[in-house]
Formats: sequence, C-alpha cells, structure tokens
Amino acid sequence: MTEIDEFVFAIDLTFRNEWRNVDLLSTSVQNCFLAVFADVDGCHTIAMVTGELLENALKYGDWVAGDRGMFRLRVGSSEGDVEVSVQSPVKQNDSSATSLLEQVTWIESFGDPAQAYRARMLAIANDEQDVAPSRLGLVRIAFEGNCRLSAKVEHDAVTVTARFVPDRV
Amino acid sequence: MEKLIHGDLSIEVTVAAGVFRCAWHGRSSERAPAETLRPWFAKLLEAVLAGAGSIEMHFEQIERFNSSTITALIKLIQTCRKNNVLLVMVYDQTLKWQRLSFDALRVFEKNDGLFHLRPV
Repeated sequence: MTEIDEFVFAIDLTFRNEWRNVDLLSTSVQNCFLAVFADVDGCHTIAMVTGELLENALKYGDWVAGDRGMFRLRVGSSEGDVEVSVQSPVKQNDSSATSLLEQVTWIESFGDPAQAYRARMLAIANDEQDVAPSRLGLVRIAFEGNCRLSAKVEHDAVTVTARFVPDRV
Repeated sequence: MEKLIHGDLSIEVTVAAGVFRCAWHGRSSERAPAETLRPWFAKLLEAVLAGAGSIEMHFEQIERFNSSTITALIKLIQTCRKNNVLLVMVYDQTLKWQRLSFDALRVFEKNDGLFHLRPV
C-alpha cells in the first residue's frame, strides 16, 4: 500500500443503526480496499478499525432521541494517510461522550499504544465484578491498527477518527 | 461437550487423551459475545475438570473477532487459572492480525504454566 497517492479512495455514507451493519460495512470497506491495494493484512486492519468504531458508536450513541441521520461512516485517503471516522448522535452533557473523550486522551497519553493495550487488558482481567465496560475497542484500534485516535463532540454528535499511514499497517 | 453455534461463529470440540480441542470457525462479531461464550465456557470447564483434562483453543481458522470477544477470552484465561486448568491458545502467526491479537496475550503467561500461546 505504498501507491496510495495514485488512487482516489473515499467512502461517505449514512446508514441505519443496526448491529448487523457493523459486519456488512466493515466487510465492504475491506473488500473495497482489497480491490485497490491488494494488501490482505492492511485491508483486514482497516476492516477491524471500521468495525470497532462502528460497534463503539452503536453501544454508546443516543439512538432513542438522537438524529439517526447522524450515524455516518467516512473512510478516505489524504496526503498519504488513511482515515476512518464514525459519527453518531449523542445527548448533551452525556457521560458516555465524556468518557469516550477521556478514553481517547488516556490512550494518546501512552508513548506506545502497546502499553495502553496491555494496561487495558490487565484492568479487564482484574475487574472480577465486570462492573465497568471493557472499552477495549478503541485501544485495540490504536495498538493493532497503529492508529492515532481523535474525538470531538459538536452539534449533538460525537465523531471518532482513526488515522494511520498505510505503509505502517 | 456440544458444539457451539451462534450467529456466524461455531466452535467444534473434540476430545483426545484428556485434551479438549476447541476449533473456532467463522466470525465472532456479536454485540455481547460473552452472553453466549461464558455459559459455554462454564460447561466446557465443568467437563474438563471432571476428567482432569486441559483445553486447547484453536483460532487458526477464525476469520475475525471483535474486542468484546477478546474480553471474554481474557476472562476465560483467568477462570482456567483459578481452577488450575491448563489452557493453550493456538493461532496462525502468518496472519498479522492474529499475531498482534494473540502475542499481546502473553502478558497472561506466568510461571505457573497454566496458560500458553502456541503460534503455528
């Protein structure tokens, strides 16, 4: 995947908030990238990142009062980087949105995402009561996908973006 | 021990010389896989303990799994250790995603020898 600048790759769509769409969309993204780049490992990584972001949005989005039209997936390449972002509706002052922003900050506070992943796994193992959500998906994106994560909340929507350089996938 | 079939995931069990070989196939992408896996793991552990056996989980053929499945596997490692049951996880090291996912679990390998990762 070294010739990404020679290709135009962009996916931008809104879709229904149904769990089965996670698999449908991540598989579609994987197949699209495979058609362009023919890199099986890299395409699997992009599918994993897409799937984890979509799962996260479905689990923590406001699907009762929120605007379902705000469920949006964007995948594209820019200046040699590939970005996957998922937008989902969120309640104002919602604790899950705050928690998500804190999670992203926590992950980015580690110099090496492998350390963050290890710390999260150990926390899960030590949580015998299973009271807290595992929140393993985002840190998996950072570690396995070698992605930089960012998140923002605006206009009753939260957007989480994973950005990685294809050569490093 | 009955085979597990749920959604796109199946786990087939064969027993030989006290080793319960569990072969994962398909995809584990349910919203809450632990709801299915945990009770199945509990039955598996019960059968293993009854025969003083061990467990080999084979992931070479699985297409993908989500982070919730990894969480369930971490819980299984802990449960097996508490019950002094040997658990081995076998994965395909030629697949980058499997190598990354399973190598990370080495943090749970300890001197007690109750948990091993075996790349093939």
